[in-house]
Amino acid sequence: MPWRRIVLTLAVIVPLIGILAYGFSRDPRYILSPLIGRPAPPFTVTLFDGKKLSLSDLRGKVVFLNFWASWCPPCRAEARDIEATWKKYKDKNIVFLGIDIQDTEEAALAFLKEFEITYLNGRDASGRISIDYGVWGIPETFFIDPEGWITYKHVGDLGSQIITSKLDEARRGFISAKEGKGSYQPIR
Amino acid sequence: MARFSLLLLALLIFPMALQAQPDDLEEQARRIAAELRCPVCQNLSVADSPSEMAQQMRALIREQLKEGKSPQEITAYFTSKYGEWILLSPTSEGFNLLVWILPFIALTGGILLVVLVVRRWVQRKSGYRQGEVDPALIQRVQQDIAADKVWEVDPDIEGPRAHLIHEQARRYTELQELEFDYQKGRISDADYRDLRPRYEAQAANVLRELDSSSALAMTETQSRGAKRQTKYAGPAQTGKASSRRGWVFAAIGAFLLVFGVTLGVFLSKSLRPRSSEQDSITGDFLTGTGPGGISASSAMGGADLQSLLTQGHAAFERKDWSQAIDAFKKVIAIDSDHPEAHTYMGFILTQAGHADSALLAFNRALSTNPEFPLALWGKGMVLYRDKGDFPGARQNLEKLVDLLPPGAQRNEVQRTMDEMGSRPADPVQSKQLVAGSSRIEGTISVDPKLKAKLDSRDALYIIVRSAGSAGGPPLAVKKVGRPVFPLSYSLGPENMMIPGRPFSGKVDVSVRLDKDGNAMTRDPGSLKGDYKKNPVEIGSQRVDIIIDQVL
Repeated sequence: MPWRRIVLTLAVIVPLIGILAYGFSRDPRYILSPLIGRPAPPFTVTLFDGKKLSLSDLRGKVVFLNFWASWCPPCRAEARDIEATWKKYKDKNIVFLGIDIQDTEEAALAFLKEFEITYLNGRDASGRISIDYGVWGIPETFFIDPEGWITYKHVGDLGSQIITSKLDEARRGFISAKEGKGSYQPIR
Repeated sequence: MARFSLLLLALLIFPMALQAQPDDLEEQARRIAAELRCPVCQNLSVADSPSEMAQQMRALIREQLKEGKSPQEITAYFTSKYGEWILLSPTSEGFNLLVWILPFIALTGGILLVVLVVRRWVQRKSGYRQGEVDPALIQRVQQDIAADKVWEVDPDIEGPRAHLIHEQARRYTELQELEFDYQKGRISDADYRDLRPRYEAQAANVLRELDSSSALAMTETQSRGAKRQTKYAGPAQTGKASSRRGWVFAAIGAFLLVFGVTLGVFLSKSLRPRSSEQDSITGDFLTGTGPGGISASSAMGGADLQSLLTQGHAAFERKDWSQAIDAFKKVIAIDSDHPEAHTYMGFILTQAGHADSALLAFNRALSTNPEFPLALWGKGMVLYRDKGDFPGARQNLEKLVDLLPPGAQRNEVQRTMDEMGSRPADPVQSKQLVAGSSRIEGTISVDPKLKAKLDSRDALYIIVRSAGSAGGPPLAVKKVGRPVFPLSYSLGPENMMIPGRPFSGKVDVSVRLDKDGNAMTRDPGSLKGDYKKNPVEIGSQRVDIIIDQVL
């Protein structure tokens, strides 16, 4: 009789502790993206040099799409790695495109100057592109294959190793099952 | 005829559609936004969140409504971008159905459990139902009582009928006590006549229950005076049962101890105070996210400390105080004695008019590095400008002069000391007016009640008029596009509408957040605020304005 009671009590308490543990062990801010394995939302962005660029213009190329802001420390942490990887890949039918969000133009330009960034960069002043890509923490990076499909998404700072391997996967049209995570800054 | 009907229908619908435009659109947008969760303030809806992201989302909802999209289409759009996470109420399909059903199942189960427990409790309390009592059982009870025996049950007795045996002993004892009290004249005839049959019935009911179950032996022993032991089980069995009971208690105790310790460790490691609006209360230990979502390992790195400082400097320079405070606080969280971060906090506090707190910050910086030039400068200036403590200010500035190499900076400090020597100590004067300045400075904030009405596209106008002049062009106007509140401002001769006029004397200062960005029109719905102590003298500082009116 008492054993039955203990088993019954445990049967109630253990799942409750399990739920509690699950709740505490997950990042409450994390939002899983439904966009991986889907066509990348189209957009047109005005680059910092004044030219306009549409995603559709980049069809046939692998696109490394990175959302960033000058006030975000993890964006600063990854900036040099991205630039170095871009220099390595710029002649290999791959396009690096940075989208600056929730920022002022002056601060963004100062950021680009500070890290000597040479790949394409534009500003999403209205926030339309970032909403289209479901951005919630920066830096946030999308890898788009030559067909225009999103193959991988990474929230948080990236190292050159991940960039290289995911660019290679995107070139082959290989869609990752899971998104990646690094140190990130919630958007404002 | 059909064509006529269609025309009539079109005519009927057209004015209705026209009427339904602006207010309806706002209301519809609000309703859609209220169903969506804000990705920044995750416990608020997009309608309620003051974040920039939520503002952009609200603008997008309005835009899509204007394009003729239905609320369902708009919700589906956001769901396609952020997943079902974005919905404050998850859909009642598939696995999500559990979320909708489980609370009701739990509630029904809980109510049933309470009803069952209460029923059992009431039954035990009030004895067993009266009436329908077998007279033979009553007779048995009366015989047992007449036998005048002492009823006692082994407290360790166990088994499915244990509670009935206890109950029987209790009822019998009650009856014996009633009899004893009556014979001693302690209760009245009426009470005795009322209580006796009731007690007998209750005892008879217990007997019936005992009989109906496989009757468990209750051995009677001895008569009054000699204790009679009623044993359900033999002594060996009782000993075994009681040792088992001991183990059960020990196991429960150990479990509770482990549970408590685990929970304590768990909570203290995974919860922390929020260090900023962006921060969450969980993180570090389990989720790998540090303050504001930055992992502790990355935040601890020297490179990040440097980038936080750079970020703080940049925010400080563009007078974005909240950003600057955030950055310097993070630096202090990593290195609690960082002199530079404390010094900048001191400068920010000075700007906000908290001279005493600023002095504390400068002192904190100087306690780590007594020769930190920036802190010496900050402390000296606060003592000079805000406190009127010239000797104290001089002491700090002299130390600074000794530290600085000859050059522009040193000359500037020297000049300030000379200026100090020629001025009387008047803290009030120095606090209110910028020496020799023809500027107006202060901060602008928004009444929390009006925060929901802010639109990221609004333009802010700071308007200075000559005191008492209601009409005509203002003396000076400054426009701030896409303002972020609280905002610090400074107006000077460069903002004058009619150059050449003197920018001096008493003026009225007000601000307006304009919907269409045109200063000449006063759009309904625009927000406004006046300086509460108008008129003010040009050269005043801390002309702080709160936007608290709707036009």
